[in-house]
Amino acid sequence: MSSAATSDRLFINLGPQHPSTHGVLRVGLTIEGEVIVKAVPDIGYLHRGTEKLAEVRSYHHCVVLTDRWDYVAAMPNNLVFCLATEKLLGIKAPARADALRVMMCELNRVASHLLFVGTYGIDIGAFTPFLYAFREREMVLDLFEMLCGARLTYNYIRLGGVMIDVPADWTSKLKEFLEYFKPKLDEYDQLLSFNPIFMARTQGVGLVTPEEAVSWALSGPNLRGSGVAYDARKADPYCGYENYEFDVVVGKEGSCWDRYFCRVLEMRQSVRIIEQVLARLPEGPVMASGVAKVPKPPAGEAYAHVEAARGDLGIHLVSDGGMSPFRMHVRAPSFLNLAILQEKLVGMKISDVIAFLGSIDIVLGEVDR
Amino acid sequence: MTSSSPKPASVKASLPEPVLNDKNGILMTNRRWPIEQWARPWSLPGYRNGAMMLAGIVLGILAGGALIGELSKWGDRLYALMGSFAAAKGISTVAVEAVWIAIKVLIVLHVILLNGLWSIWWERKISAHIQSRVGPTYAGGFHGWAQTILDGVKLFLKEDITPAAADQWVHALAPAIVIAPCIAAFAPVLFGSELAAARLDVGALYIFAFAGISVIGVVMAGWASGNKYSLLGGLRAAAQIVSYELPRGFSVVPVIMFAGSLDLSVIVSAQSGFWWGMAPRWFVFYPVVGQVAFLIFLIASIAETNRTPFDIPEAESELVGGFHTEYSGMKWSVFFLAEYAYVLLGSFLLATFFLGGGGSPLPWTPFTLVPSWVWMLAKAMLMMFVFLWVRWTLPRLRVDQLMDVNWKFLLPWSFANIALAGLYLAFWLK
Amino acid sequence: MTQDDILSKIQAEFPKIEKAAVQVKDYLTVKLASKDDLIPMAAWLKKEGFDYLEMATAVDYLGPVNMKGYIRQPNFNAFLPGGAKIEVESAAAAGYPYRPVIEFVWSVVSRTDRARVFLKLEVPRDAASAPSLVGLFKSADWQERENFDLLGVRYEGHPNLLKILTPDFLQGHPLRKDYVHVKDRYDE
Repeated sequence: MSSAATSDRLFINLGPQHPSTHGVLRVGLTIEGEVIVKAVPDIGYLHRGTEKLAEVRSYHHCVVLTDRWDYVAAMPNNLVFCLATEKLLGIKAPARADALRVMMCELNRVASHLLFVGTYGIDIGAFTPFLYAFREREMVLDLFEMLCGARLTYNYIRLGGVMIDVPADWTSKLKEFLEYFKPKLDEYDQLLSFNPIFMARTQGVGLVTPEEAVSWALSGPNLRGSGVAYDARKADPYCGYENYEFDVVVGKEGSCWDRYFCRVLEMRQSVRIIEQVLARLPEGPVMASGVAKVPKPPAGEAYAHVEAARGDLGIHLVSDGGMSPFRMHVRAPSFLNLAILQEKLVGMKISDVIAFLGSIDIVLGEVDR
Repeated sequence: MTSSSPKPASVKASLPEPVLNDKNGILMTNRRWPIEQWARPWSLPGYRNGAMMLAGIVLGILAGGALIGELSKWGDRLYALMGSFAAAKGISTVAVEAVWIAIKVLIVLHVILLNGLWSIWWERKISAHIQSRVGPTYAGGFHGWAQTILDGVKLFLKEDITPAAADQWVHALAPAIVIAPCIAAFAPVLFGSELAAARLDVGALYIFAFAGISVIGVVMAGWASGNKYSLLGGLRAAAQIVSYELPRGFSVVPVIMFAGSLDLSVIVSAQSGFWWGMAPRWFVFYPVVGQVAFLIFLIASIAETNRTPFDIPEAESELVGGFHTEYSGMKWSVFFLAEYAYVLLGSFLLATFFLGGGGSPLPWTPFTLVPSWVWMLAKAMLMMFVFLWVRWTLPRLRVDQLMDVNWKFLLPWSFANIALAGLYLAFWLK
Repeated sequence: MTQDDILSKIQAEFPKIEKAAVQVKDYLTVKLASKDDLIPMAAWLKKEGFDYLEMATAVDYLGPVNMKGYIRQPNFNAFLPGGAKIEVESAAAAGYPYRPVIEFVWSVVSRTDRARVFLKLEVPRDAASAPSLVGLFKSADWQERENFDLLGVRYEGHPNLLKILTPDFLQGHPLRKDYVHVKDRYDE
């Protein structure tokens, strides 16, 4: 590129304080007119050293750390750590605890995807769907507050089971919510999903081919939006997911709209799963017996992964037989999903950058950990 | 802690009993679940509030209309009084005219300022109810009517910041350049059948000419802020507003052809009368031509005012506010005022060009007795409602899509519309 | 495919590969003999359908974590009754084979077979490096940068091996077991 051409270029900082980066992400954009010629994502503003902190905490304390990764959907975070530790300890949660875990994770997925629908609408310029989505998300969070007293950082799923059984009329409130929520999904479709302007902004934008998606190890709706039907709930079932009927939603072309609509349809699947869990919620204890207050699992390694709201969340845990994990590595889906940014943003317009960034749905707490 | 002190109680014993489940009962009883709202929609205070607000809006229109109408009567008396006073004292009539023009300018200025107060509050309430919120409720008592006034006071008191990287003079001048043509453009705008600050033979042309100047101020604001996002916003604004001037101007050409004049009062009087004794002869009801022209003008007007779905120059989620990112206090509120003034201008022009101005929509007695300024204001407010409605429903277009809509859709159709209007004139309306 | 099937398939292609001594629970874990094996092995696995690099990490087996690596000394055991001495020294677990090595761990997934293989490679701690997998899996890019940043391991052939999570002024690699925190301008 000659010097005359480069002089037309402008470097702009997208973030770390920008309304559409969903946190403290910074992307250094070099633009020519409105077209991106180079994009350098810069992360780490929210790095809290979770993996380091875990090395001096007991396993029970580490569950508290997990809440802070993906604070929008914290239940799967709790779950994945507990699954990995339970593998090390060789214990298994009782049937009722498993069912409750599935229910809470799916409910949390609904809450997380509702947040996505709302904020993605704002990214595209539609403010109204945000409030509509939050109206319903508020009810899910209220349900969680009734359940465990917290609205974001639940610490509900514990080693060997769950913290507490559901309160007396909680399931009836949940059923009420589901009945209320199902028609609302059609409302979002009318308001946002099939809005011609919204479709024009997102369809055919930010195309990710299946090969690219696999090579970049995208996961969750980002992978499925590209048409790759990979879901940890089906491929490597945990907590009895193999007993529930649900479909893996896949997109067609891997555009922003496909990723968006995958999430909208996943909410329907989550509702389906929750209804099945409610229909056959087993009785019994919610906590396995014999979980020590300071568990010291035998030396070994374990890997557990769950389908969190943002993708395939995994934990690699090494124990040396002590009271805290010797090494904990988090396979954070947002971190890996975000990496594709540097390649995909080149050639896009600034508006498309926002559409693409919004559609991969990152949570910076999980990216930076 | 020394070894001699008594052993403290264990941590577990000092903890209170868990009260998590007790909290649920309170939550359950206090929570108003929306399902009940959907079951009994009209029994709920929210909807009663909505009906009351609607009544308040209607009353507000009537009160505003009354104010303008009364002003015109008082104005005629005042003008006559001034004339006789000048004749008695031997003062030149030029001085009388000058004072009279100053009074009219002040009146138009206050229309713009009061419009800011009214329409910001209205937008807040409309957007809130579209988004299942309630909007301001506290300030002033009745549905937070004083919220905008208090916000204005706050904006007066805010520090006026000029960024270090900004070009100080251009930065300060830009808001003035945005608002001044906007006020000037209101000169020939009709507030009733004949009620205008100035009657110009080229009224329509004059308004379009002045409204187009504001973009210079926007570009200046974007450039002078010393912020790259603002610069992009200013450039986008220039591209957008200059482009949308074209279909906006061409879409009223059929109206001007039918009316045979650029004078707004002639255009309004050309729409008087009724087909078959009941359907008003408004230009919007002229088959095909009227609707197409109306829609093009509406879309282009929304684009001119930089509002969603055409708000790419300010695009909060992309450009962080665009050209007015670096403005604060009164400078910023002048931009805001100009935006709402342009919304009002667009609403009045839509009412004038397409909805028969101050004419009654029905030919029967109770409607025809209503003064023209009430009809004019009601139609303008209806159009303003459309502006707000569109804004709070649709997402934003991309830059290239925006240009596509303009050059590939609006402009060709406005040309086709002119041709069709010519056919009407040749065969139907001759 | 069961774990044994996969293992026998791998061993038919790469006779030197054997099962790792410490298995990742429930999944097949194989140990690479040397770092030259990694690229051919990963390329072959990718060809065989294991085309999804799920995770790339590394573990420092030096010993129990150095408590000077923390800005605030954490309360190690909050379950102790009040007034008891807070335990701030991390204790070495008895009988665990601590050794000055860094072990790389990769996991690749076959979506069609629903199988997952963990690859392990032990390298000496003072010359911790492995070939980069960026050429085969693009997802290795940021994961390798993360491991470089936090563990100080190098990946040969990585095009852009820069710090990614920790700030530029942070000295050392926090997840190394002997990491000592150097006070910087943001500490109290």
